Amino acid sequence: MRSRWGCLPRIAVIKFPGTNCDEDVASALREVDPGLEVRIVWYKEFRLWDGWDAVILPGGFSYGDWLRAGAIAARSVVVEELKDSASKGVPVLGICNGFQMLVEAGLLRGAFLPNEHGRFVCRWVKLRVEGARGPWLSSIEDGEELDMPVAHGEGRFYIDEEGYAKIVGKVPIVRYAPGYNPNGSLYDIAGIGNHDGNVLGIMPHPERAVSRVLTPRGFRPGGTAIFRSIAMSLRRGW
Amino acid sequence: MPLTPEEVEEIRKILGREPTTEELAMFEAQWSEHCSYKSSRLLLKLLPTHGKNVLVGPGRDAPAVEVFPGVAVVFKIESHNHPSAVEPYNGAATGIGGIVRDILTLGAKPIALLDMLYMGNPKDPRARWLVKGIVKGISDYGNRIGVPTVAGDTWFDNSFNTQPLVNVACVGVVSTERLIRGTPRPGDVIVIAGNPTGRDGLLGSSFASKPLGEDPSQEIGAVQVADPLMEKLLIDSIQELASLGLVEYVKDLGGGGLTTAVVETAADFGLGAELFLDRLHLRTELTPLEILVSESQERMMLVIQKDKLERALEILRKYDVPYSILGVFDGSGLIKAYHSGRKVAEVPARELARPRTILRASKPPADRTVLTAPIRDLPLPPLHEALKTLISSPNIACKRWIYEQYDHEVGARTVVKPGYGDAAVLRISPEDVRGIAVKGDANPRYTSIDPFRGAANSVAECYRNLVAVGSTPIAFVDEPNAGNPEKPEHFWYFEMMVKGIGWMAEELGVPVVGGKVSFYNEDHAGRQVKPTATIVGVGALEDVGRTTTMGLKYVGSPLILVGTTFPELGASEYLAVVHGIEAGEVPTPRPSLELRHAEYVLELVKEGIAVSVHDVSLGGLAIALAEMSILGDVGVDVDIEAVACRGCLRVDEVLFSETQARYLLEISPDKLEDALKIASSKNIAVSVIGVTTSRKALRVRSGGNPILEVPLDTLKSLYEGSLEELLR
Repeated sequence: MRSRWGCLPRIAVIKFPGTNCDEDVASALREVDPGLEVRIVWYKEFRLWDGWDAVILPGGFSYGDWLRAGAIAARSVVVEELKDSASKGVPVLGICNGFQMLVEAGLLRGAFLPNEHGRFVCRWVKLRVEGARGPWLSSIEDGEELDMPVAHGEGRFYIDEEGYAKIVGKVPIVRYAPGYNPNGSLYDIAGIGNHDGNVLGIMPHPERAVSRVLTPRGFRPGGTAIFRSIAMSLRRGW
Repeated sequence: MPLTPEEVEEIRKILGREPTTEELAMFEAQWSEHCSYKSSRLLLKLLPTHGKNVLVGPGRDAPAVEVFPGVAVVFKIESHNHPSAVEPYNGAATGIGGIVRDILTLGAKPIALLDMLYMGNPKDPRARWLVKGIVKGISDYGNRIGVPTVAGDTWFDNSFNTQPLVNVACVGVVSTERLIRGTPRPGDVIVIAGNPTGRDGLLGSSFASKPLGEDPSQEIGAVQVADPLMEKLLIDSIQELASLGLVEYVKDLGGGGLTTAVVETAADFGLGAELFLDRLHLRTELTPLEILVSESQERMMLVIQKDKLERALEILRKYDVPYSILGVFDGSGLIKAYHSGRKVAEVPARELARPRTILRASKPPADRTVLTAPIRDLPLPPLHEALKTLISSPNIACKRWIYEQYDHEVGARTVVKPGYGDAAVLRISPEDVRGIAVKGDANPRYTSIDPFRGAANSVAECYRNLVAVGSTPIAFVDEPNAGNPEKPEHFWYFEMMVKGIGWMAEELGVPVVGGKVSFYNEDHAGRQVKPTATIVGVGALEDVGRTTTMGLKYVGSPLILVGTTFPELGASEYLAVVHGIEAGEVPTPRPSLELRHAEYVLELVKEGIAVSVHDVSLGGLAIALAEMSILGDVGVDVDIEAVACRGCLRVDEVLFSETQARYLLEISPDKLEDALKIASSKNIAVSVIGVTTSRKALRVRSGGNPILEVPLDTLKSLYEGSLEELLR
C-alpha cells in the first residue's frame, strides 16, 4: 500500500451492475499516464477510506436504467459516501451515466430528459470548455475545443432559467460547439462542474477519445486533456 | 412444429413404452428443425469447415479461430426472424442476447455485434413498425450490455413486409489458453445461472420451425422477453469464472431451453444426467413440463467440478446472479428428470439429441424468375437522374439513422466505425496494434433469382469487404434463410444456397466454421420471402493504424479500377430501382479473380500506395465513385473510355454493372507508377479511370465529352437524408 503514502496517485473507477465503460476508462487513464494506479472497484467493495485520491463514475446503464437513468445508483451507499468526500474536495468525475448519477444525487445541478428526437445517439461531437478550473480541467484553457463521442438516450440536459443564472460564470461548463448539440440540451450544455470544479459531470465519453487510432478524420482526441489534467493535479495540486 | 405421427412412433420404439407428456415435450423441443437441423444437416456437410486456423469447428455453441498466435476469435451468427415478425422489439433484442451467450460459452469476451436486417418496404406501415421496433430492440439491448454494434447489412424489399429477416452476429476475443474447452465428467455439477425461469418462450424453437400464422400477433406467447441487465451480469461473472478456471463447460439455454442444453452436452460427451427440476429458481410456479422447455432468456448452464463449486458460486453471488444447483452429470447415458420426488422423464441422451436426418425433396420452381432480361432494349435514362435515384435507394443510402442508435464505440476498440469503410475494424485491445475486421453481407435479390450464384457472390462480397479495409480474411459463418423445407420448391433454394456458399468458400480457401439455418420464412399464404444467404466474415490486420477507409483523402490522386467490367446488369440495383425490373442473369462469381485482386489490393494497402479502397458492388462503378467522393468530400473526374470493359455496348453497363471481383482505389498522388508496375508484374487488369478534384462534383466524361455531372452537395444530401426521411 505504498501509494497511500503518496507515491502513486490512486484512482477508483466504480462499477455498478450494468456499468459498461469501466474498463475503457481504466485503460484510457493508463494510456495517458502509466504512472497512475487505477483500479476498477465493484460497488459493494468500495470504501472511501481505502485511500482513493480521485473517483470516477463511468458510463453504462446502472441497474438497467430502470426508473430514470442513474436514479437507483444515485441512492446507493457508495454515492452517499461520495457526497461527503466531494464536499471535502475529493475529485469526482461522472461520465455519461455517471453524470446522470451525480445530478440525481444532487451533487450537480440540472436534470436529464430523453433526447429530443427520441432516439439513442452515438456520434463524435466538438465541445468548448468555459470557466475551466478544478482538477479535471486544470490543463485546459478557457474556450479550448475538445472532441469526443457521445452515446446516450437520455442526454438532454435541462435546467431552469433561475438555476442557469446560478451556474453560468460560476462553475465550469462544457458546451457542445455550434452545430454539434446531438440531443437538444438546453444552453448546449454537455457537462458542468460544481463551484470548486472538483466534481465534474460530462455526457460525452473522454475515455473513447484518447487513442489517435480511434479518432475519426476531422476530429482530435479530446479526452486526453481531461485525463492528463487529473494526473497532473493529483501530483502537483490544482 | 408438433411431432409427426411417425416421430411419435419412433419415440415409442426408443423408450420401449408410452412416453410421458414431459418426454414428449422434450422430444418436440429437441427434434424441432431449429434445434436438430434434421432437414439441413446432410447438406451442411458440403461446407468446408477445416483450416489451419480453426480451433473449434461447428458443433459447439460457437466456433473459434486463431487470428494471431495465441489470440482466438469466437464468432457466430443467429437468426431471430419469427420472433421479430411478431414482436419486433423483444424479438430482435433476444436475438442479440442469445448470440452473445453463445460467445460466452467459450470464455470469450464479446467485443462486437453485427446486425444483418432484411426488412420490408419502409413505405408499408407494418413494415415500418417492424423496422423501427427491430432497430430499437437491438439498440436498447446491445447498448445496455456494453457490446458495440459495429457493422451489418441492410436491405429493404416488399417480400419482407410481414416476415423480416433479423440475422445477428457476435464476435468475441479470448487468449487461446483461456478458451473454455473442458470436458464435462460424471460427478460434475450442473448449475443454472441467470434469470429465474418463467413461462415465456414456451417451445419457442418449435414456433420457429413452422410457418407464421395469418395474424402473427396471436403467437406472442412464443416470444421471449429481454433483460439486458442480467445479460451484462452474466457476461461479467462468466468472464471472471473463466479467468479463474472455475468452470469446465458452459452452454446457453437457448432454443429448446433446459432440455437442449443438458441433452446436447450429455450426448456430445457420452454422459447422462440427473436433474431435480424443483430446485430451479422460478419466476412463477411452473409444471415440470414447462420447466423443461421454457425458453426464458439470460440463463446459462455452467458445468463445475465439485471441489470448485463453492468458489464458483461465490462469484455468482458477488455479481448478484441468481443460480440453482440443478443436478449432476453421470455416466448412464440417460437423462433423468425428477420433480417433487417423482421421476417425470427418463430418456437416452443420444437418441433424444439427434433425430433421424430427413432427406428433403428438392426441385426448382417452375415459375422461377427468368434468367435473361431484354436489357439491351431498355431506354437509356438520363444518367444524372439514374445516379440520383440509385444513391437515394434505401439499399444504398447511408444507414446513419440505424447505426447512430447503436453504441458503436463502447469498448474503445472501434477503429473503422460504421459508415467509414467497407468493414468495421476493431483493435484487439488498447495495448495491441493488431486488429480484426468484421462484416456481414447478403443480396436477397441475387439469391432469389439464382440461389447458387447469389450465395457465392455473398461470400465473395464479404471477402472483398474484409480486404478493402486491409485485412486478410480468416473465416466465415453463414446463415441461409429459406422457406418451408417440406416444400421441394422452397427447399431447392436452400440446397442451392448452401452449395453456392460451400463452393465459393472452398475456392477462396476460407473455411465456414459455423452458422445457423433458418427455415419456414414464408407468409401465411405460403409464399417464401426472398431466400437470403447471409455471410459474416472475420479478417486479421497486423496494424490497425494501416487500415483503409473509403472516403477520398486528397485532391489530385489517380483513381484506379481493379478488374475488368462485364455487361452484367442482370439482377442489379440499377435494373431494379431505375427500370423496375428484378430479373436477369446474376453476375458471374469469379473466385480466381477474387483471390488475385485481393492479393494485389492488400499489397497496395500494405505499401501505402492505395490510400482509399472501396469494393465495387451494389450500384456498380458509379455508386462506388459517389460514395468515396461523398465520404471524403472530394470531387472526381472520370473518363469511362478508360474503363477496361469487355463486351459493354451501353454506357449504363459501364457505370452500373455489378461485375464481381472489382475494387476502386485512390492511389497516393506520387505512387501511380508503383501501382501499375505491381499490377503488371501480377498480371492484374487495372484501369486508371480518372483523378480526384477540388471541384466538388462527380464528373464523368466519355473521352472529351461530359456525360454526367452532379454536384457533391446534391449527392450528399440524397445519400445522407433518404433513409432518415423514409423512417422518420
